[in-house]
Amino acid sequence: MTKYIIRRFLGLIPTLFIIMTLSFFIIRVAPGGPFSREKSIPKLVLQNILKKYHMDEPMWKQYGRYMLDVLRGDLGPSYRYHDRDVNYLVFGSLPDSMVLGLMALLLALVLGIGTGIVSATRQNTWVDYTTMGFAVIGISIPLFVIGPILMFVFALKLKWFPTSGWFMADASWKTAVMPVVTLTFPYFAYIARLSRASILEVLRSDYVRTAQAKGLRPSVIMFKHILKGAMLPVVSFLGPAFANIVTGSIVVETIFRVPGLGNVFIQSAQNRDYTMIMGTVIVYSVILLLMNFIVDIVYGFMDPRISYR
Amino acid sequence: MKKLLVILIVLALALPAFAQVTFRITNGSEPASVDPHLISGVPEHRVYLALFEGLTIPDPSGKAVGGAAESWSVSADNMTWTFKLRKGNVWSDGVPITATTVVKSWLRCLNPDTAAEYASIIKDIIKGAKEYNEGTGKPEDVAIKAVDDFTFQFKTIAPAPYVLSMLIHYGFAIVPIHVIEKWGKEWVLPEHFVSNGAYVLKEWKPNDRLVVVKNPKYWDAKNVKVDQVIYYPSDNLATTYAMYINGEADWNANSPPPDKVIEAKKRSDYIRVAEFGSYYYEFNIQKPPFNDVRVRKAFSMAVDRNELVEKVTMSGEMPATGFTPPTEGFTPTKGIGEDVEQAKKLLADAGYPGGKNFPKVTILYNTSARHKSIAEYFQQRWEQNLGVKVELFNQEFATYLQTRKDGKMGGFDLARAGWIADYADPNTFLFMFLSNNEDFNDPRWNNPKYDELVRKANAMQPGAERMKVFQDAEKLLIDQDHVVMPIYWYVTQNFIDLKKWGGWATNSLDQHALKFIYKK
Amino acid sequence: MAASAVEPRANGAIDQFGVPIRGVSLWLDAWRRLKRNRMALVGLGVVIAYSILALLAPVLPIYSYKHQVLDHQYMPPSLTKTAGQILYERRQNELLEAAKASGRVELTDQERQELADYRTKLANETTVLDGKTIKVNERRYILGTDSLGRDVLARIIYGSRVSISIGLVGTLTAVLLGVIVGSLAGYIGGTFDYLAMRFVDVLYGLPYMLLVIIFMAIFGRNIINLFVSLAIVSWLTEARVVRGQIISLKNSEFVQAARVVGASTGRIIFRHLIPSTLGVIVVFATLQVPSFILLESFLSFLGLGVQAPMSSWGSLVRDGVDGMDNYPWMLFFPALTMTIFLFSMNFLGDGLRDALDPQSKNKL
Repeated sequence: MTKYIIRRFLGLIPTLFIIMTLSFFIIRVAPGGPFSREKSIPKLVLQNILKKYHMDEPMWKQYGRYMLDVLRGDLGPSYRYHDRDVNYLVFGSLPDSMVLGLMALLLALVLGIGTGIVSATRQNTWVDYTTMGFAVIGISIPLFVIGPILMFVFALKLKWFPTSGWFMADASWKTAVMPVVTLTFPYFAYIARLSRASILEVLRSDYVRTAQAKGLRPSVIMFKHILKGAMLPVVSFLGPAFANIVTGSIVVETIFRVPGLGNVFIQSAQNRDYTMIMGTVIVYSVILLLMNFIVDIVYGFMDPRISYR
Repeated sequence: MKKLLVILIVLALALPAFAQVTFRITNGSEPASVDPHLISGVPEHRVYLALFEGLTIPDPSGKAVGGAAESWSVSADNMTWTFKLRKGNVWSDGVPITATTVVKSWLRCLNPDTAAEYASIIKDIIKGAKEYNEGTGKPEDVAIKAVDDFTFQFKTIAPAPYVLSMLIHYGFAIVPIHVIEKWGKEWVLPEHFVSNGAYVLKEWKPNDRLVVVKNPKYWDAKNVKVDQVIYYPSDNLATTYAMYINGEADWNANSPPPDKVIEAKKRSDYIRVAEFGSYYYEFNIQKPPFNDVRVRKAFSMAVDRNELVEKVTMSGEMPATGFTPPTEGFTPTKGIGEDVEQAKKLLADAGYPGGKNFPKVTILYNTSARHKSIAEYFQQRWEQNLGVKVELFNQEFATYLQTRKDGKMGGFDLARAGWIADYADPNTFLFMFLSNNEDFNDPRWNNPKYDELVRKANAMQPGAERMKVFQDAEKLLIDQDHVVMPIYWYVTQNFIDLKKWGGWATNSLDQHALKFIYKK
Repeated sequence: MAASAVEPRANGAIDQFGVPIRGVSLWLDAWRRLKRNRMALVGLGVVIAYSILALLAPVLPIYSYKHQVLDHQYMPPSLTKTAGQILYERRQNELLEAAKASGRVELTDQERQELADYRTKLANETTVLDGKTIKVNERRYILGTDSLGRDVLARIIYGSRVSISIGLVGTLTAVLLGVIVGSLAGYIGGTFDYLAMRFVDVLYGLPYMLLVIIFMAIFGRNIINLFVSLAIVSWLTEARVVRGQIISLKNSEFVQAARVVGASTGRIIFRHLIPSTLGVIVVFATLQVPSFILLESFLSFLGLGVQAPMSSWGSLVRDGVDGMDNYPWMLFFPALTMTIFLFSMNFLGDGLRDALDPQSKNKL
């Protein structure tokens, strides 16, 4: 097992390297560039700009230069936000996204697993249908609809919360509510349904029937035996879900003006801000790879049936 | 007892002076920089107008009035300008602002190493600037000089009557050279930042807010009535509209989302003013069917711009007959007008009676609800009136720009385009279609007579004659060759309660210097 | 369908109740159980109904989905009133409001005449559509109209053609790819698993939006490209989930039994392991259908996907959001349609999950 863990962890590095290399070239192949403007920058002025950013050098040279900088921890200057460099912009906005994401994920886990348990143990009753109904709504109504609806009802009409802003950037704690609740919906939905389906499967298995035959209390059976086995699909879902939610939901951050990484990423993609895009790709990939790695290890501990060769 | 009363009255009168006045703006996209030489967009311009002053600044009506300069004069041939700077004018750190500062600032903008995007605005006007910026000349040869500490002089390439309004632009910014030399790239950080405008930078959290506070050393500080200005960046029209109507912003510089226009028009704080900008479709004149001018004219005549503006865009735009919007001294051409019968006839003459055998044509536009609605409207009109099939294609902005400007318009037959002027002169529109202008002449139209007229106008003295030459040029562009199909002229859209705030007025370049704003 | 399609075994085996044991395949058994699940049948019915409506759209007696009647902008939904009546009432209300503002309660004779003229004008107004002249104000917009005066009901029905096909095709692709890669990786393990999962990781990490933009630049914008763009990212999570399930079942007794008997890897995976994981696969698949429908709306932002004036549920919902307080029908009906469809898919999915559970075999 330990050998597996070490091998897996070391394997993260070449994977990251491949992602970075592919992304480096992909973003430069896409049409348009950081200096495309409706009012085209005159050629000779543009030449000066390109020179300043080393964009007049051959591609492989730019690549080498960039990778070396990254090894030194320098993610480069932003091609669009001239006053800041990528390190500042990426690591300055990451905490906001992480807090938003973690709060939403936590809420989704608690509500989702809870609903999953309730539904599975009362399968095909009205309780089951209504709770799963909420879950379906959570996925079928997109975030860009849920967000504005919440904003309309709770900010404009009821005036309970401000329309937008983010408490970590010097505003009241009330700004946290709507973005977190909005972001929770789809994750809650997935987790609830996955839990339910998985619990149902486990409920029918032999070791559960043994526990029931032994006369254990239902709650003991549920929490000690069933959940351990049933949470596997939820755990595999959590890997990429965590990476996604923590690096920012573009939709929620744009609507509620949360100064997180998602906001930064969508702007940098549209602006073709090469270094910023690379910066967000790196952060996202590192978190994603780590999370998938952790999920794989957790598998081994959670399900005694699993063994890694 | 009487003494106590007096004290209380004095305190009561003084209290308002203690309450801080904050003005909040929802300002479109996140500013790229606060360094005036590194910016190129409208949101950045709004921040610039609070932090810095050039030789001239815009008064609320948009007219150029004295900023760092208190008076000026021009030579008889209209080409040498002399400015007298305010004596005693200092930076926010107390260092004096002299004519040498101005010289060094403009040279910094032109310096190829600065890579300033808007060096072009200086290049177009100041003698010797182009050569320096392109590396073929020396900084000493740029025709600007400090005659003495408070007198600044420059020579233009040709008589340019609009130069005063151009000096408002950030390309001509005066920057704190002494701070830049000391801190390099980091001079813009709040802890080092120094400016000469009514405000200084206090705090900047990207994507959340940019905060500026009153500059106590500003020469006109006693007349600056607002203590703090906060800029909130957001491109999301729905969010900024919600913020404004919920009282979380005092000035919303974004337009309302299209479905809220009807509701917005009922509000007295929704302010629209004709803007010096043009919305049009470019024709791909390099391949059939639009290589035939009759087809181009037919398409242009077979629609109803009034209906478009009243029912589809609904923001008070002006249906456009010519390409260049009207401005002082310039009346656009009447163009070819709208006439469905005539359009059908033209189409038949070109070989496609009733739209028979007409190839399917494509319109390219960048993703936006508004552009989509407008394109859908034209698609239906052309189908109904001419019997032709039109297909719509959208692309995200950077891709769309690249496609449109690749010399062949990406193979599309029509492309949506828009242009907002940098300064108030027809040249800023008509120069786009010079035959050698690859940056802007997307259809690659080549008409030597047009080139000749535009160049001639640019060398003339300001006045009615010069305008007439421009009008003749536009007649070639629109009436004769109809290279582009004008649609409407822009309107600026702002939300601000003018019963509550003064010092903000409408003007066609939509420029508002923050120093004039006060709470009523 | 039940009894006739299934023959009792020739050897006449009986179970403990003396009933002949019917040999069944997984699928027949599943279908029998599915039939009993009422909600699942309702779900199936709804999905089929939607699909039929979508297929028949061009021949249904509905208004055009793309013809704009600008005078009919933003009409509220109405079962009884015609467009003309609504326009007339609007004008009447406007005049009454103006009258109230100047202190009057009644309309002047001049205003009444104006209304009467307006009524006549509305009754006679015609427009030409597909060569036919129709009295446009006699239309009844059951679900209202949008900002360009197009019928919402028609746009929803035409939109369903796009969205349903994208949802189903996308999900099928994702499931196929995900199940194949995930199960192979999970079962075979070792280096193959390792490399496959690293490949999945790399695809996850790449910036999707730019990838799609490049695809479009290289391969153009057609329906195949749309499905490819949808497919590249969608199968990833499915693969991981399936792999997880397979790993946990890999060493269970029934698999060991199959191995002992000499079953090949393929057979073990496809006939034994996958059916045991079908529950989770099916549920996950039905969860992904809406994300495809919404992904299409994101892709249309980039220019891939349906082009105006064609609609899809995603684009209708997106267009309807901003006007939701003044014109709620533009958002409500497309969202409701989509939600009902997805509800049905989920009940169907649950039913399938229950029906396909091999441990429910021969149970009721």
